[in-house]
Amino acid sequence: MTNKPLKIVLFYCANALDAAALRKSAGEAGADDIKTVSLPCSGKVNLLYLLKAFEKGADGVMLVTCHHGDCKFIEGNLRAQKRAEAVDALLDESGLGRGRMRVIQKNNENGAGQIFEAIENFKNDIRVSSGR
Amino acid sequence: MIVAERKSIPDLVDILKDHQKILVLGCGTCVTVCLAGGEREVSIISSALRIAANIKGLDFEIEELTIERQCDNVFIEEATDAINRNDAVLSLGCGAGVQALAERYAKKPVYAGLNTAFIGILEDRGIWAEKCAACGACVLHQYGGICPVTRCAKQMLNGPCGGSREDRCEVRPDRPCAWQLIYNRLKDIGQLEKLTAIAPPKNWEPGHGGGCRVIVREDHRI
Repeated sequence: MTNKPLKIVLFYCANALDAAALRKSAGEAGADDIKTVSLPCSGKVNLLYLLKAFEKGADGVMLVTCHHGDCKFIEGNLRAQKRAEAVDALLDESGLGRGRMRVIQKNNENGAGQIFEAIENFKNDIRVSSGR
Repeated sequence: MIVAERKSIPDLVDILKDHQKILVLGCGTCVTVCLAGGEREVSIISSALRIAANIKGLDFEIEELTIERQCDNVFIEEATDAINRNDAVLSLGCGAGVQALAERYAKKPVYAGLNTAFIGILEDRGIWAEKCAACGACVLHQYGGICPVTRCAKQMLNGPCGGSREDRCEVRPDRPCAWQLIYNRLKDIGQLEKLTAIAPPKNWEPGHGGGCRVIVREDHRI
């Protein structure tokens, strides 16, 4: 295994997470290096957004959606979940393997701080699966 | 429309591995509508190919372009410069588009990035189904607009076969029985008496069994 830092891109629904709270939590978690991309709804994300992140060198992409049933646009979070699954399969075909794409549903229990804990767990899982 | 689906990324990498500069060329017509080879799919497949090439240590330089229609010389012309500056073309058009490109650019390798599947329509979000087998001798007028050649697994012209269960096809239980659909449709339009006629054996000669089919319109050849 190497200690090379993993590059993680975080796409998030702006209805699920507040940008200011996210920045504050990133500072507290020492995760300022994580690139964040705000979306008006997680359903705005498409395969290309996610793939481009990997093409540009991301080791993993996390997508934060609203909890099922809470999407302001009814089914944006469901579409986002399906697209993330499609990207996971495409990355597997491309040789990166599965598990580089992760979706987290925001609920009352997991605030911005918990998202960064989830990212750390995500990084550990990637390290284990990729041997880094 | 013509419905197609993309080949797997490992298959595409294997097809392209001997080339460096590659044009991924989409088509803005049928394969755009069936979400297989339009502008968006060109970007997605190109991105996946770049990721795969990076992992495999291949030196792909991929250019992306989508033209309105790959099966028509007028539109193909728009891609000439891009085709000339690349070593090979990965066409995301249907089989007709791939061959139109290959005929037009005789010295340029042109590869199919899609598997052309059938002539069909969008049945529901994300579901396309075959509706026409291009048999060359359409019988839809006899069957209420529902094709037994394409939609009956046994291609029965004097159906039903008797094997359907609860309106589902015996061969493909996930699909409706075409003959149940034909009966319902003829009943709805008041033409049930058409089912009393015995259809003679179909003339399959206009179909693909006679080799590549060509239509000549002399009035357009001046």
